[in-house]
Amino acid sequence: MSARFRRGAIGASALGLVPVLALTACSSDDGGGSSGVGDQVRMLVNITDNLTQAKWDELVAPFEEETGIDVKIEGPSGQSVAETFPTQLAAGTAPDVIQSIFPTEDTAPEILDLSDYDWAQGTPMADLYSTDGAINVVGVGMQAQSLLFYNKDLFEKAGISEPPATWEEMDAALKALQDEGVKKPIGFASEWATGVQVQEIWHPQQNLTTPGWQQAVAGGSSTLGDQFQPMFEHVADWIDAGYTTADDVATDSGTQEANFIAGDVGIYPMGSWFTTTLAGSPPEFEVGIFAPPVDDAADQPAPMGATMAFPYMVWNGTQAKDAATQLVEYLVTDEDAIAAQAEMDNFNREGLDTSANPYAGQVQELLDAAPSFVVPGNQTVGDFALPVAGFNEKFTEVAQGLWQGTLPADAAGQLTAWYDAEAAG
Amino acid sequence: MARARTARVLGRRGALGRGLMTVPAALIYIGLMVVPVGYAVYYSFTEYNGIPSQTPEWVGLKNYTRIFTDPTGDMHSSLWVTGIIAVVGAFAVNAIALGLALLLRRTTPFTAFARAVMFYPHVLSALIVGFLWQAILGPQGAVNNLLTGSGRSALPFLSDPGWALATMIAVIVWAQLGVQLVLYLAGLQAVPADLQEAATLDGAGRVQVFQHVTWPALAPTVTVTIVTSVLSLLKVYEVVLGLTNGGPGDATQTWAYEILAVSFANNKVGLACAQAMLLIVVAGILSFTIIALRRRAEEGAEALS
Repeated sequence: MSARFRRGAIGASALGLVPVLALTACSSDDGGGSSGVGDQVRMLVNITDNLTQAKWDELVAPFEEETGIDVKIEGPSGQSVAETFPTQLAAGTAPDVIQSIFPTEDTAPEILDLSDYDWAQGTPMADLYSTDGAINVVGVGMQAQSLLFYNKDLFEKAGISEPPATWEEMDAALKALQDEGVKKPIGFASEWATGVQVQEIWHPQQNLTTPGWQQAVAGGSSTLGDQFQPMFEHVADWIDAGYTTADDVATDSGTQEANFIAGDVGIYPMGSWFTTTLAGSPPEFEVGIFAPPVDDAADQPAPMGATMAFPYMVWNGTQAKDAATQLVEYLVTDEDAIAAQAEMDNFNREGLDTSANPYAGQVQELLDAAPSFVVPGNQTVGDFALPVAGFNEKFTEVAQGLWQGTLPADAAGQLTAWYDAEAAG
Repeated sequence: MARARTARVLGRRGALGRGLMTVPAALIYIGLMVVPVGYAVYYSFTEYNGIPSQTPEWVGLKNYTRIFTDPTGDMHSSLWVTGIIAVVGAFAVNAIALGLALLLRRTTPFTAFARAVMFYPHVLSALIVGFLWQAILGPQGAVNNLLTGSGRSALPFLSDPGWALATMIAVIVWAQLGVQLVLYLAGLQAVPADLQEAATLDGAGRVQVFQHVTWPALAPTVTVTIVTSVLSLLKVYEVVLGLTNGGPGDATQTWAYEILAVSFANNKVGLACAQAMLLIVVAGILSFTIIALRRRAEEGAEALS
């Protein structure tokens, strides 16, 4: 009986080990080859209200037809592409092509150098995004970052004849809108939008005061607090005057945009991708766009904040390097692909047909007038990169404190303390 | 003597068989639980960005020092927020679940339906719960639309830091109620009915019966519910993501949010692991403390049964 029992026990444990061994076998299969072999390219993309799975699939369909390469579009498994990509790198399941983010100090060694490809050299903003001449991210155009969309009807009713060019004119315009009974003279929104909007309004004056401010901060001749305190003071004044309330920074950007389109918001700061939303649901009133105010009217037009539109990078561990680089080449050089991307999320590019989007023309005018383009604080690649990660998230957190009564000087101090801790650590 | 020897030999062979039977489970446990935690302990003493091609750099206690000195104020505020959620939330969940269990302890069609409804929130994904309540309580959500529609001013459920924290605790309690309710219902079934009857016959009122019979008999259940609710409250993350994403400012950033949405998201795997280690230690200390404190009460319950 004991021999039978022993055989049974050994048999049972052997059986029990089978699933464990199967697990190990499966994981080793997945490890190296998941990036796509031969005819398949995996692309990790940002999914938003404008950038839907269906639109992405439509975008790559002509490429798939022409080359026979199967493109698998994947949305982020985490909160964002920026969060998902490093996780996938760690798991060994990195995609072949990554859209919407830029290389960082951590991920740059994992990104393919595209400098040797001729087609990469001529892409928009390649210079602002290259590190020591090496190009590892390419895009299709420029997204203007410093745009103030306004309701022309409300401006007229409030007696504002010209969009404001200086901070004083801006304060006066906001007051006039408030006196006219406009629910939200200026519309800020929650989460990522708070930080992006505050930065967007500040880009022009910030770069007039300290050209290449990121290098000044990285080099130690300025601090993040010094850089942003004046803007925090403007926002605090607007909050005190009631032009924006704490409810705004608990309202998501989609809802705030709907409020703007419904005519409840006087001025809405946002990037050029908002024109796609406007073109999709045109408001009943006329929409104007103006560049942010500066200290001295003589300095207008001032440098315009801009980022690369539709950035693409290739993972240098991809097993489908040729297919992946072919896909990226198609996306950034094929005229039809570029036009399709402009329809998904509007951007500006020389020679782009903007007739489908009436607001894009206004943006182009502002871009043409701008003397130079400047990149935001969360730039992670190139000469204007701050040597810290998570700038936008921290900036949003600090900026939102202003609506809870944090003093501008204290908010500025928090930013500096954060930068010092992060840069040292 | 021969019989004793045979018995010993048989006993050893039985033990060998039993031991072999536990090997698969032990391997899985070690492989999926012990090994990753071991790695996390190692990484917590390194600076590492999580990318396999880059090697972790040993930095000793630097990550732990960063947590304790907290130069940016992030960590201590998250600890505070998590502590409030754990304490207030645990109390609220248990009090409400026990109250509901007492109301619903008799099995009738109505109580069966009510139990199912109360349990349902637990079935929803925590992220969905967060988004759902954001749609209900947001500045332009359902509740505020009703309020402003009837002429009153909107309530800052999610826009004021204090309100946002209270709202989040309420939402978490709502979502976790189901499990604790089921545990209390099961515990109440085990309360000796004859003792309750005897107490009633002796003239004890409902409150006295509860205080002197039901509550002591529930002691083991209460230990389990307190420990499980505290542990799950310490780990709150998805509800935060859906409801407030840590805002306004950092008013609702919990420790788990700090680990996942801040440290890991910024590729600070070493720091994230140090924070996770701290969470494990705190959770462990709390659990053992609660169990130890409850021991006397549980012994009392055993005496009753």
